[in-house]
Amino acid sequence: MSNKILQIVLEGLIMGGIYALISMGLTMQYGVARILNVSHGEFIMVGAFITWMLTTMAGISPLLALIICMPVTFLIGYILHRTLYKKLKDLTPSAGAYEGNAMLISFGLMFIIQSVAQKIWGSSPQGYKYLTFSFKIGKTAIAVNRLFVLFVTIIISVIFYFFLNRTRMGKAIRASSQDPAAAGMMGIKINRVMAICFGIGAILAGIAGSLLSMINNINTSMGMNYTVIALIVVVLGGLGSIPGSLVGGLILGFVGSIVNRIDTSLYMVVFYVLIMVLLLVRPKGLLGR
Amino acid sequence: MNTNISRGRLNAKKIAPPGLSLLALILLSLLPIFVTDYTIIKINSIISFVIIAVSWSIFSGPTGYISLSTAAFYGLGMYASAILGNHLPLPLVMVISGIASFIIALIIGVITLRLRGVYFTIFTFGLVELLRNLILWLEIKFSGTRGRFVPSVDFQQVFYCILGTLAIILLISYLIKRSRFGLALIGIGESEDAAAHIGINTTLVKVLGFSISSFAVGAVGAAMATRTNYIDPGIAFNMLMSFMPVLMAIFGGMSTIPGPIIGAAVFAYLEELLITKVPEYFMIIFGAIMIIAILFLPNGLTGIAGKLFKRRKGAGKNANT
Amino acid sequence: MLKRTLAVLIALLMIAAVFAGCNKAGKTETTDPPSVDENVGTEDTGKDTQPAAEKESIVFGGVRSQSGVFATFDETAFGPCYRMWADKVNAEGGIYVEEYGKKLPVELIIYDDKSDMATMTRLYEKLILEDKVDFLLPPVSTAFLYATAPIADKHGYLLIGAEGGSTTLLDSIAQYPGFFSVLNFSVTQVPALVDILVENEIESAYIVYIEDLHGTEYSGASKPALEEVGIEVHGMKAIPPDIQDMTSIINDAIDSGADAFLLFAYPDQNFLAMNQAMAMGYNPDVFLVGPGGNFEFIKGVFGGAEAVEGLMSWGGWNEKSSEKAAQFAKEFLEYNKDDPKVSIDWWGHLPYYTGLEMLQQAIEKAGTLDNARVIEVLKSEKFDTVMGEVWFENQLLASECYLGNVGQWQNGIFEVIDVGENRTADPIVPKPAWPAE
Repeated sequence: MSNKILQIVLEGLIMGGIYALISMGLTMQYGVARILNVSHGEFIMVGAFITWMLTTMAGISPLLALIICMPVTFLIGYILHRTLYKKLKDLTPSAGAYEGNAMLISFGLMFIIQSVAQKIWGSSPQGYKYLTFSFKIGKTAIAVNRLFVLFVTIIISVIFYFFLNRTRMGKAIRASSQDPAAAGMMGIKINRVMAICFGIGAILAGIAGSLLSMINNINTSMGMNYTVIALIVVVLGGLGSIPGSLVGGLILGFVGSIVNRIDTSLYMVVFYVLIMVLLLVRPKGLLGR
Repeated sequence: MNTNISRGRLNAKKIAPPGLSLLALILLSLLPIFVTDYTIIKINSIISFVIIAVSWSIFSGPTGYISLSTAAFYGLGMYASAILGNHLPLPLVMVISGIASFIIALIIGVITLRLRGVYFTIFTFGLVELLRNLILWLEIKFSGTRGRFVPSVDFQQVFYCILGTLAIILLISYLIKRSRFGLALIGIGESEDAAAHIGINTTLVKVLGFSISSFAVGAVGAAMATRTNYIDPGIAFNMLMSFMPVLMAIFGGMSTIPGPIIGAAVFAYLEELLITKVPEYFMIIFGAIMIIAILFLPNGLTGIAGKLFKRRKGAGKNANT
Repeated sequence: MLKRTLAVLIALLMIAAVFAGCNKAGKTETTDPPSVDENVGTEDTGKDTQPAAEKESIVFGGVRSQSGVFATFDETAFGPCYRMWADKVNAEGGIYVEEYGKKLPVELIIYDDKSDMATMTRLYEKLILEDKVDFLLPPVSTAFLYATAPIADKHGYLLIGAEGGSTTLLDSIAQYPGFFSVLNFSVTQVPALVDILVENEIESAYIVYIEDLHGTEYSGASKPALEEVGIEVHGMKAIPPDIQDMTSIINDAIDSGADAFLLFAYPDQNFLAMNQAMAMGYNPDVFLVGPGGNFEFIKGVFGGAEAVEGLMSWGGWNEKSSEKAAQFAKEFLEYNKDDPKVSIDWWGHLPYYTGLEMLQQAIEKAGTLDNARVIEVLKSEKFDTVMGEVWFENQLLASECYLGNVGQWQNGIFEVIDVGENRTADPIVPKPAWPAE
């Protein structure tokens, strides 16, 4: 029995942790920069494939590849925001219209990124072996690669927490997410902050992709699934709430690990029922304001 | 169908828009005499998107409640067609499917009353995924298989059914736009609290608006299922179908009736053109066009026409924001 | 000002494009739809199907998923086969058609359906009604094939399926007299697997299957077949396509103590299960995975041939199966040597290519492009192909034509391990341990 519980907890933490990373990334982009980034999952895919390429072709350790991924994905995100979205913002007068149009642009990006990736990396599943061994706690076999992923997820989350709460930039981001107009008046360069938020969102997606490639096979059409998960978790947690995304992601992970043991095929059904009930009980999300 | 339209004409203060629509519909209905079979099939598919985009913008356009439930009603329509198609003629299946969609939308509308903004959006999105997974689970558990064949129907019959639906939805859209109900929807979009304050029953208006915007989707789903021959939950509840009307309506411009029509028609046509002429680069070109169009036409395709018109008249106000 | 002008320009361009396209789409179409992938077409598409009229090429049209979730099929499964076949036929001058008294080159029209069913069916109608192709090539996946069969049948076209096949076909295939299937599936494969398990004294099995046509069919067929020969089924679990973690399933399989782990799923789930089994040290006597396990690229996914040593999957054929098969493998690798995305499929490639050769020979034997007469030839004649002598029985390739049904990776070769004369190597049971990290 205790074995089962240990398994459920670990499984829930591992997938939940990855979901939380992805969702916190989208929260940065949607909660602060007001971009419902439908191409979020494509950044996950790009992170996964960069890691895969560096690992299999250049022989670099996946962990090192993950670190290389971070500036790459950040730059892609930052530049995209500084060019495309900044231009859109200048051209679009109202906030509502901006949100709609920003989503459309991210749709266009999704098509382009996915298609280019498919041209480069093909459509077949890819993967590599990393830390594929296990140790036992009691009778429970625990895979080292999954545990390692959990470990990295926790480290990243802690760093992210300190960044948001202890640095000037983090404070500027939090101020901008609460009231962009007031933050602007306080002397915060709002456009730069938003571009950085978008870049950070891309980093978190890239890291999640790197981590996923360590424990699962990857393919160029994998992005959409994760975008959907992130969208749901972000809203479930409460718009713009980073702790909300963390909690939402973990809930999702635990629902998965529990339902997996009852009837694996019911997983998505239970998951969506839960989301809808939670939304009805708390119309502003779990930790929404 | 024709009586409906002429009634629409009588009610109209301005003859031009309904008159033009009527003319267009008559031309479309005569089309099978003049053009090839495949052109009909293609136009049929484009019109189905027009109906969906117009339906979607009846509710979501003025209120700003972005609904992603289109695929749910479309998929239910497809299943209605697969289950009832062998026993009933297509128009009847479409009517049943439309009414069922209307009733289900009513129920969902009542449940989701409290939700606003993106929370409503995600709820409707979850609905599609829930239905897809639930039906998949039910099919595997109880029917032991996954997909169903859809009884085939002559494509010209489908075309006329779709055309009839288009006429109905255009008429409804036009009437709503001109009615107090339409004003109430706009009021909700501008400020829900203020709308409630001046005596609008926002609950009723919202639920009814959502239901009206759903019934034609169910009907079209039933008709279009006959064009795919075979469905399974993944095909029927395809989330792209939820995003399509949103993209099309924004692309065309949401604030007018012609907006979603033009958006859907151009969008669907462009896709077909690219996919057959340059399939290798279809997605890249499609994505690039979307981005460029949004950057340079932030108010949609019709926004630019409106802008030109306004400028000529000398009015400086931007009506599309 | 500049921006406004630009905006107007773009709008005008779009409208112009629409009108230009409309004209093209009209019934007086004269422009030739581009032959997409290949430089095979020499002249105009020759949409005129009137017999005895002048004809410059035989047009084969197909709608294939070149983007979206099914894109991997066209990239690695049937895709490389039809491209290679068209080039090879054209290198020999084309297909001889008696009614024209000459060899006609093959021309391909391939459209992308973005893995979307509605687009796929519509584009087949375009191929038939507007492009008036002479023959159809099949779409990807079983469900898409089901949707295409009625369309082809309605317009009197024959359709030889590629990827996909299912027992549901057995019930409905008679409705579509022009529909043929070449890939072996559960009907021949499950009995072959059961024979192998019995031969190797396997006493119990644990079944995991994906919730779709493939998974439900193989699991549905396997359970009674295994129990009939006294192999106990210790567990039977359904998994959704988007499963992310199979820890609980692998643990359950370990606890069940079953000798054989049978996974009826697709590459995504198969590779996930293998990854987790490796990590958790789960190494049953028999480890069988579904589609994906039969592709050469699986070695790369797990870092080399030793990682998949002893892994079983559906198949199968290899260079040792016959001289012709060896020749085909050589030509295939030569043809695709510049494309790293293509790897050989030791299950499907041979039957897919066989289907194309049968079509070609049937056209030559019938001496016409009339689909109805080619169908008659396909139904009645035997054909000499890369698979040897083959023929259709009830529109399915006769079961004795196949060179194998189950394969096992041994020293980097996908050996056929069917009991009987198709066997190219004895099965290795118990499976060797996964290689250490």
